[in-house]
Amino acid sequence: MSRVFVRLARRGCSDLALNARASMGAVFALTLISFLAGIFFMTLATLDRQLGIARAETVFQVYWKAGTDLDQVRSAWEEYLHLPGFVSVKTYTPEQAMNELGTRLGRGGANMETLFPFLSGGGPLPATALVALIPQGQDPEKWLEETSVYFRSQPGVSRVASTPLRDELGRAWKKVSRYVIWPSFAFMTLILGLTAGNTLRLSVLARAHEIEILRLAGAYNWHIRLPFIVSGVVMGGAGGILGLLLLYFLHTQISDVLNFPPLLLRIYFPPPHMCAALVLAPAATAALSGMLAVRGY
Amino acid sequence: MFYLAAAAIVAGMIRVRHLSHSFGPHQALKDVTFSLEKGDFVFLSGPSGAGKTTLLRILYASLPIQRGEVNVADMNLNRLDSSRVPLLRRQVGVVFQDFKILPLRTVEENIALPLDLRGLAPKHIERRVRAVSRALGLEGHIKLRCGDLSGGEQQRVAIARAFVVNPKVLLADEPTGNLDPELSLRLMELFKQFQAYGATVIFATHSRELMNRHPGAYVMRLEDGAITYANWPGAGVHRPAQTWAEPLARKPASDMERGA
Ligand SMILES: Nc1ncnc2c1ncn2[C@@H]1O[C@H](COP(=O)(O)OP(=O)(O)OP(=O)(O)O)[C@@H](O)[C@H]1O
Ligand SMILES: [Mg+2]
Repeated sequence: MSRVFVRLARRGCSDLALNARASMGAVFALTLISFLAGIFFMTLATLDRQLGIARAETVFQVYWKAGTDLDQVRSAWEEYLHLPGFVSVKTYTPEQAMNELGTRLGRGGANMETLFPFLSGGGPLPATALVALIPQGQDPEKWLEETSVYFRSQPGVSRVASTPLRDELGRAWKKVSRYVIWPSFAFMTLILGLTAGNTLRLSVLARAHEIEILRLAGAYNWHIRLPFIVSGVVMGGAGGILGLLLLYFLHTQISDVLNFPPLLLRIYFPPPHMCAALVLAPAATAALSGMLAVRGY
Repeated sequence: MFYLAAAAIVAGMIRVRHLSHSFGPHQALKDVTFSLEKGDFVFLSGPSGAGKTTLLRILYASLPIQRGEVNVADMNLNRLDSSRVPLLRRQVGVVFQDFKILPLRTVEENIALPLDLRGLAPKHIERRVRAVSRALGLEGHIKLRCGDLSGGEQQRVAIARAFVVNPKVLLADEPTGNLDPELSLRLMELFKQFQAYGATVIFATHSRELMNRHPGAYVMRLEDGAITYANWPGAGVHRPAQTWAEPLARKPASDMERGA
């Protein structure tokens, strides 16, 4: 029995090679599908993280007046590290901000001042700091007020903004996310599975002749199904993994494209369970469809 | 010579009673009755469209029985559960008119297929496959893909695959249709050899030459779905003058054309 099993499993793999063009087509289709699903998952994950990020913390954006002495600004930045409830600080000098802007605009880090001569002499962009703090004390409103006053009172600071809106949104998102994330995840997985299943069913149909011959030679149903299940798992898994690799590559290219002030939108890679779904959903349904498709013969 | 048919073949027989089969309005078989004992050999002849393939398909359970009763290799096909069809097919070797070989697989893989499905040891399979392919003059082609072979070679692969399992019952549908006369005669010897070891053989053919060469053999002629001639007692001939049960005198095969 086990000998037949091994033999049939091996046959499933060698069938893939024999029908190379058809199986490559199927794997290609599966790759694209799971890549597409991956992009959806990535959007979902990014939305979740971005909206959830300010759940417990408040981010203050501190803008200095253009042309403020940078040493003064730097010493302020030093001070922020010791604030109560400190989480993180991100700082931008005027040049950094300029270069950043230049890169984002697609100039590949070209010197902005040669492009725009009027920018020389400090430039029009201010020094900025993004300080994330955890609210202290009993009354968050009062704390917000006091902390804003503290930032504003620093020498050279022109404007302070905090992110209560984002905070609110974060709290609201936390409430609805489980009604959004899981259903969309399940729905997309279902679509992924169905598409994979259909792709594989086609390859079974293309081999109807072969199935008939096996039947006539005295094959039991599982004799016929097993190679299809094995090749389904291999094709579905390969498609899923390739799709995931494509997604990873895409992510390395775009993860920080929007991550600069004032957007600061970082794109997150889908969490492990979503990555697993990208590989397992096509593999499992491909196997299942191989099994079911054989039923008709 | 070579070792092909094992001596251990037990009673293999075929009983068909009042078998009729229709494809829609077209009646392909009409009240066919005959029986064959272990070791019988019968030529099944008749013009194209007479129902030869239909009859054979029913015998290996590839068509359902609509009317009548069929027993093959001690199995009642009327009551055969679909899950047990593979058991029947393991007793029956079939040479299909359209070969039904896997064109992308090698000769070796095609011949070994039924043995593979039985889970036999690779060494045993190899030995069997080698013996059968040598007998059919395929030993030089064993590693070639079947799709690349000539029609006659493909037909021999189909025959080899039926031989390789030592079937109790051999159903051959025009197995020499693509072979030259000399090769056909050589192949006939192989079928005869199976018969000698106790297999029951039905050999569908158009070739009068082949039948003339074996004057003592049973012959059954189908025309328009009905048996119009048969030369052994176990066959019923559907003719107005005779009922199926009326035994016919045994006649040499060469009488067939006159008799039909
Ligand atoms: N699946 C089918 N559906 C409809 N009609 C069929 C089917 N199979 C066979 N027939 C018809 O039944 C009749 C008998 O066909 P069959 O294949 O048994 O003939 P045959 O004696 O084998 O002919 P040949 O010598 O050409 O192989 C033919 O008229 C054929 O058209
Ligand atoms: Mg035919």
